[in-house]
Amino acid sequence: MTSLIRALSSSIGKKLLMSVTGLALCGFLVVHLSGNLLLYVGAAEYDAYAHALHAQKILLPIAETGLFLLFILHIALGLITAGENRAAREVKYDTQRSKVIDPSSKGAPNLASKLMVPTGLIVLMFLLIHLGHFKLGIISPGDDASEAAKAGRILSEGFTQVVYLIGTLVLGIHLFHGFQSAFQTMGLNHPKYTPLIKTFGFIFAVCIGLGFASFPAMGYLGRFKETETQTTENRAETPTSITQRK
Amino acid sequence: MSSLKLTLKVWRQPSRDEAGQFHTYHLEDVSTEMSFLEMLDVLNENLIAQDEEPVAFDHDCREGICGMCSLMINGQAHGPDNETTTCQLHMRHFRDGDTIVIEPWRAKAFPVIRDLVVDRSALDRVIAAGGYVSVNCGSAPDANAVLVPKTDADKAMDAAACIGCGACVAACKNASAMLFVGAKVSQMALLPQGKPERASRVLNMVARMDEEGFGNCTNTAECEAACPAGISLSNIARLNREYLKAALTAAN
Ligand code: HEM
Ligand code: FES
Repeated sequence: MTSLIRALSSSIGKKLLMSVTGLALCGFLVVHLSGNLLLYVGAAEYDAYAHALHAQKILLPIAETGLFLLFILHIALGLITAGENRAAREVKYDTQRSKVIDPSSKGAPNLASKLMVPTGLIVLMFLLIHLGHFKLGIISPGDDASEAAKAGRILSEGFTQVVYLIGTLVLGIHLFHGFQSAFQTMGLNHPKYTPLIKTFGFIFAVCIGLGFASFPAMGYLGRFKETETQTTENRAETPTSITQRK
Repeated sequence: MSSLKLTLKVWRQPSRDEAGQFHTYHLEDVSTEMSFLEMLDVLNENLIAQDEEPVAFDHDCREGICGMCSLMINGQAHGPDNETTTCQLHMRHFRDGDTIVIEPWRAKAFPVIRDLVVDRSALDRVIAAGGYVSVNCGSAPDANAVLVPKTDADKAMDAAACIGCGACVAACKNASAMLFVGAKVSQMALLPQGKPERASRVLNMVARMDEEGFGNCTNTAECEAACPAGISLSNIARLNREYLKAALTAAN
């Protein structure tokens, strides 16, 4: 057991934990995006999903704790390794130029790989604001009729639109390198599969980035002003469900 | 043959504990057929003639096999050419009037000894931690007594091309030695002779690598691009695999 703990706290062990937590977080992103996309299907569907989720009194807290731990582990290790990496070069170069000839063909998406710490930190800021909005309710709290109305109201604010647009697109950049990097870290490098993983990772990053960015973008375009009114209409139609909820 | 007029911005540092700084030198009539080190020889001849201290730089074979030469040239390890050591870099890669910035490898694990010379013995200590096979050296074994598949032999040979120059560490934004250690672990893990000590080797070498203060791997692939021996990133993936396997199956 001690040897396992020693191994996991080595440079390779830490990166291994980062790759596993990073990929698990990618899984969460898929589920989270799928749920959120219901906003485009309709306010009622989105609400139904939100209620079904919150009705899970046992599973949800377990899943949320797991998710929280994944984030903490990933972020903590990200900061620790970043500190070690800085310390590994005390005197910086006067001039430094990449020798990766063709970033698209050789060493994978090269620029994104050098921005993992800044992109990670920006995603972290976005995450905290996002939790402040939807989990803790301490940023622009309101008395909303439904979950969809709450999302619509928050996404219609200028502050949210700017922060969310930056946060989600930067997350895309983080994943642009992160997704395929995780496989190399786990030891998977194969002439047949590595190009596939890189291509899939690129598509994945674009889908996740643009998928999440669509919400603040649509908010800016006024898409969710409708959602708010739509829910009010729904409320008029189904007064019983509202009283139940209140 | 043409000749170049160059401005050199060279890192000068009298000793390990003294502060260093850049000095600017002007050099004329540099033949494009000179190697980079020959160009520095000319600079040093001039300096000696002017009663100044010549620039200290590392070199030995000057034919790209010993791995002693080590210069960061305009921000690129071993200069702009690919799969080339500094000693094999020729001045035809530069243009008349160029300014060339010349720095030592920069890493906490590679302290500067003087000017452009760094102490790379951290790599030797990583090797001493397990980069060998313990065998009884009797008489030479019969040919084909130990069978090695050609594909494995090729991969081991490619990994063994590493000359230990430290360009991977120098080029890495984290000053990580993963490409070096990956190559050294791979060349033995791939061959039957390396199998008995396979697990302890990788655990000990990585532990030593961490102790020496090298950074972690971000998979940016700058090491692979800077490597004069063309060591591939797949050796780092193999190192990760070997390490994981050894850590999971260790008895204690
Ligand atoms: C939903 C959010 C996130 C996802 C899905 C994610 C995913 C990933 C993945 C897959 C990797 C690659 C791991 C590897 O190469 O082995 C990675 C690396 C990294 N992540 Fe994240 N990440 C997220 C959030 C964050 C946050 C908030 C930080 C804050 C500091 C962060 C910091 C880092 C750093 C510094 C690295 C690179 C470490 C290195 O390779 O040197 N990440 N991330
Ligand atoms: S001097 Fe031997 S490799 Fe350059």
